[in-house]
Amino acid sequence: MEMIYKVSVERCIACGKCELACAFGHGSEGNPAKTRINIHRRGPELGTPVVCFQCADASCAGVCPTAAIARNEATGALEVIEERCILCRMCIAACPFGNMLWDEPYHRVAKCDLCGGEPKCVPFCPTGALTYVPAEEANRRPEPLVREVA
Amino acid sequence: MSDARNDRGQGAGDREERMLTVTIDGRAAKAREGAYVLEAARAAGVEIPTLCHHEALEPYGGCRLCVVDVTKAEWGGWCKMVISCQYPVEEGLIVLTDSERVRETRRVVLDLLLARCPETPLVQRLAREHGIERTSYVANGEPTDCILCALCTRICDHIGVSAIATVDRGIGRQVAPPYHEPPPDCIGCLACAEICPTSFIQYQTSDRSRTIWGKTFEMLRCSSCGRAHITVAEAGHFAGRGGVPKSYFETCDVCKRKQMSATFAQLAAAMPVTPVVG
Repeated sequence: MEMIYKVSVERCIACGKCELACAFGHGSEGNPAKTRINIHRRGPELGTPVVCFQCADASCAGVCPTAAIARNEATGALEVIEERCILCRMCIAACPFGNMLWDEPYHRVAKCDLCGGEPKCVPFCPTGALTYVPAEEANRRPEPLVREVA
Repeated sequence: MSDARNDRGQGAGDREERMLTVTIDGRAAKAREGAYVLEAARAAGVEIPTLCHHEALEPYGGCRLCVVDVTKAEWGGWCKMVISCQYPVEEGLIVLTDSERVRETRRVVLDLLLARCPETPLVQRLAREHGIERTSYVANGEPTDCILCALCTRICDHIGVSAIATVDRGIGRQVAPPYHEPPPDCIGCLACAEICPTSFIQYQTSDRSRTIWGKTFEMLRCSSCGRAHITVAEAGHFAGRGGVPKSYFETCDVCKRKQMSATFAQLAAAMPVTPVVG
């Protein structure tokens, strides 16, 4: 079954659990600054998670001089093949959405790889802003989040 | 999105690849026809040491560390030593990656390399792993960290710049820009320095400028925050590649994320919010 990683911006409460889960999932520091999903905080309990779209015609893969960014056919994610990467960082400059990142503790480029088909951020999201759903259900409009108003 | 789905699955099944059966260190393994022994061995989980090999580049055969013995059942006990990075697999090939002859050859290679680079941690570690603490030759009086693997010059050629090359030969062989002057073709991408296994190629970089091979580059700074990942020359070299316009390079990743989240926030603001008065 083809799965789609779906972000429902209107349900994000900017708690940052996805950032922590991502940082722990991809490195040993658990440093939320090293996450591959970034919440842009735009108000109290209002956030916009920004994460790789796994573009069909991706700039990062297009500009790469060593074809080090390739589609994982099983998950549909674009993954960095680190053995091929020469760290020229052109992908970081090229991604029009800013979703290619530089990971200094590990001295590598980093992007969302959907954790090989089990995105670790999804089970940590308390409001269902991040979901990993069958492709047929992905275009369903999310339920509006019930927010308390003071 | 439908395009994305159609794109998946292409490439892998276009060509039917013939698989060959080889024996590596006594274990049967399948290898893609046209693959080199090194690739087949690593796919089978057998580690072969290398210094000049890189997945993004054609095999070079420079370091001679990946030597293996190959033979076939019908060769009557005769075997030959080859470099695994450039020896294509054949049906029924028997590969020995850890025979005494192979280990001794690697020891000689590392002994010589340690004589050239007595102070290089990577060479010291590999030599120690092969039982060599100190070179048995006369250690180089002017120690260098360059092992002449040519990864730097090959990656520079690969990205279409060719600013540096190996010059001279014999004991005078070295990696250098033309006439030992700041290379006119260099774009300051640092690929040579990053790929160098011994960190021999030095550089300085900041958000303002970058210096490598004696040439100083202006950085392409983010138009809103001033952060920089690449040089202006690098942007010029890569603009248009893969259909990526130069304008994509003008803002840094952090500011591009901010722009994108602002767009999403506008869309989200248009969505109804159900308030609960508590």
